[in-house]
Amino acid sequence: MRTRNADKEKLVIEKAIELIVSDGFEGFSMNKLARLCNISVATLYIYYQHKDDLITKIGSEIGTAFFAHTLKDFSADMPFPQGLRKQWENRISFSLQHPKIVACFEIIRHSPHGEQILQTAVSPFKQIMADFFTNAVDNKELQPLPIEVFWSVAYGPLYSLLRFHSEGKSMGGKPFSLTDDYTNQALELVLKALKP
Amino acid sequence: METNLNHILVFKTNIDQLSTDCALSESLGKQTGISQWSIDHEDCDRVLRIVSKTLSNHDIISLINAHGFECAELP
Repeated sequence: MRTRNADKEKLVIEKAIELIVSDGFEGFSMNKLARLCNISVATLYIYYQHKDDLITKIGSEIGTAFFAHTLKDFSADMPFPQGLRKQWENRISFSLQHPKIVACFEIIRHSPHGEQILQTAVSPFKQIMADFFTNAVDNKELQPLPIEVFWSVAYGPLYSLLRFHSEGKSMGGKPFSLTDDYTNQALELVLKALKP
Repeated sequence: METNLNHILVFKTNIDQLSTDCALSESLGKQTGISQWSIDHEDCDRVLRIVSKTLSNHDIISLINAHGFECAELP
């Protein structure tokens, strides 16, 4: 009797993430994954219908985990500066704790499956973030801006710093590692810029 | 509903392209006992995956062979 083995499934997900990060979306194959996990290809196909099925499921799973982490101790009715600070903290801690998952999610979201995955994983998150934005504008804590401009100013600096951190260097190869001081400095400037 | 893993059969085939109206698609779709089927065309083994409570590996292999394709149990 065959039964679903949770440890094996966990291993498959973990190794699939590693493989997508190291070989890219195109270089990923069910055969390579089976070999990495030390299981037969047949076993892999018992769990997943095909490569696309596996990638979509893994993408949704890590997307959901990321958005759940982002919403930790956060609510849409928080005062804007505290709320944005919480978003920064949560996004930083997820990136630092799970660098491979973040790298994998970036690859999957730019793949042909990106749209579908984002739609399923993001929808509850999207509403909360939209409410947070509207509340902040209504409370005159935030300039009314097109959402793309808001996002670029609010999170662009954070993701630039995180990219320097994950590469371990900034411009011209200068060694870089993200500290609370850098984070606070950038966040203060962002808050100042977004204030009405 | 979760599929019973004992009802999943997987095979290595040489089925490259399959249009929805070709004879093989039709017979897989019509075959009593097959509740779900898919082929991973991207994989080098063109893995055919069948969900069936009643059919055996042998039944599936005969069905695929009858359409002129190779089909073998995936180890």
